[in-house]
Amino acid sequence: MVSRKALTVIIFLVVASPLFGVIGAEVVGYREPLEVAAEAVGLTEGEPIWGGILPDYTVPGLPDAIGYIVAGFAGVAVLLAPATLRGRKK
Amino acid sequence: MELVTPISNWNWTPGGGKTHIPDGFLDPITSLAFYAISLAVIAFSHRKYFSDGGGDVSSLSVTAAAIFAAQMLNWPIPGGTSAHLVGGALAAIILGPFGGCLAMFLNLVVQCLLMGDGGITALGANAFNMAVVDVFAGYWIYRTALKLLGEEKRGLAAFFGGWVGITLAAAACGVEMGLSPQFGYPLSVTVPIMTAWHFALGLVEGVATGAVISYLARRSPEILYRG
Repeated sequence: MVSRKALTVIIFLVVASPLFGVIGAEVVGYREPLEVAAEAVGLTEGEPIWGGILPDYTVPGLPDAIGYIVAGFAGVAVLLAPATLRGRKK
Repeated sequence: MELVTPISNWNWTPGGGKTHIPDGFLDPITSLAFYAISLAVIAFSHRKYFSDGGGDVSSLSVTAAAIFAAQMLNWPIPGGTSAHLVGGALAAIILGPFGGCLAMFLNLVVQCLLMGDGGITALGANAFNMAVVDVFAGYWIYRTALKLLGEEKRGLAAFFGGWVGITLAAAACGVEMGLSPQFGYPLSVTVPIMTAWHFALGLVEGVATGAVISYLARRSPEILYRG
C-alpha cells in the first residue's frame, strides 16, 4: 500500500525538481564537475557501457524540464511497483 | 592545485546526479572487488531485514521512491557544483540499517539501469558508498548521538548521522578513485580531498536529514525504525 500522504510528497518532489535540477543549473551556468575533472587529468569519459533508457533524466524529443519530470515519474513508478502490487493483493 | 580542485567535486553531477561514479573511472579489479563486497552486504541485509519479522516490502518500496524523488532536487551552487540529499542515513533511520541498505540499493539500480546515472561497471562501488557506508555509518552515528543527546533531540542526532554518513561515503569514494590508476591521483590525494569537501557540503545532507526526521518524529513517529 502507498499512503496518500507519501504519494503526495513524492509527486510534489518530482514536479518541483526541474526548478533545481534543470532551470537552476542553467541560471548559475552549471557545468558537470565530472567532465571538468576528467578533462583535467586527460581522461576521456567515452561512451558509457549502458546509457540508460532515459539517459541523464531526459526523454528524447521533450524539453529538458519536462523530460526531467517524466523521467522522475518513470523512476518513481518502478520503485513504487512492489508497494502498489502488494496493496492490490490485500 | 588547479588540476586537483575539480576532483574535489567531481561526483556532484547535474540532472539528479549524485555520488555516482560513471563507467571508465574505475579499473576492473576495483570494480569487481566492490561488486563483491556490496553484494555480500546486500544479501546479508536482505536476510536480516526479512528474517527479523519487521521486513515490509511496502515501506521499502515507498522509502526508495521518496529518496529517488528527493535526489532529483539538486541545488546548483554557483561555481559549478551542486548539493542535494543522498539519503542513506535518512533511509536507515526510517527503515533500520538493513532495510535502508536495500532501499538505497534499489534506488541505485533504477538510477543506473533506467537513467544511466552511475556506470554499470561502477554499480558495486556506488552501492558500497551510498547503500553500505552512508547507511550503516550514518545509522550508527545517529544511534550513538541519540544515546548521548537523549530521545527528544532526535532531529539533531539525525543531523549528525546524515552529515558524518555522507562524509564517510565520500571518503570511500576517494578510496575507490585512488585505487584506480585511470584517475592518476594516489589515495593520499583523493581521500583527503573528497573527505574535506564533503565535510562542508555534507552540512546540507545533515540539515535535510535532521529536518525530515524531526518532522516525522513529531507527526508520524510510528514510521521510524525502533532498533
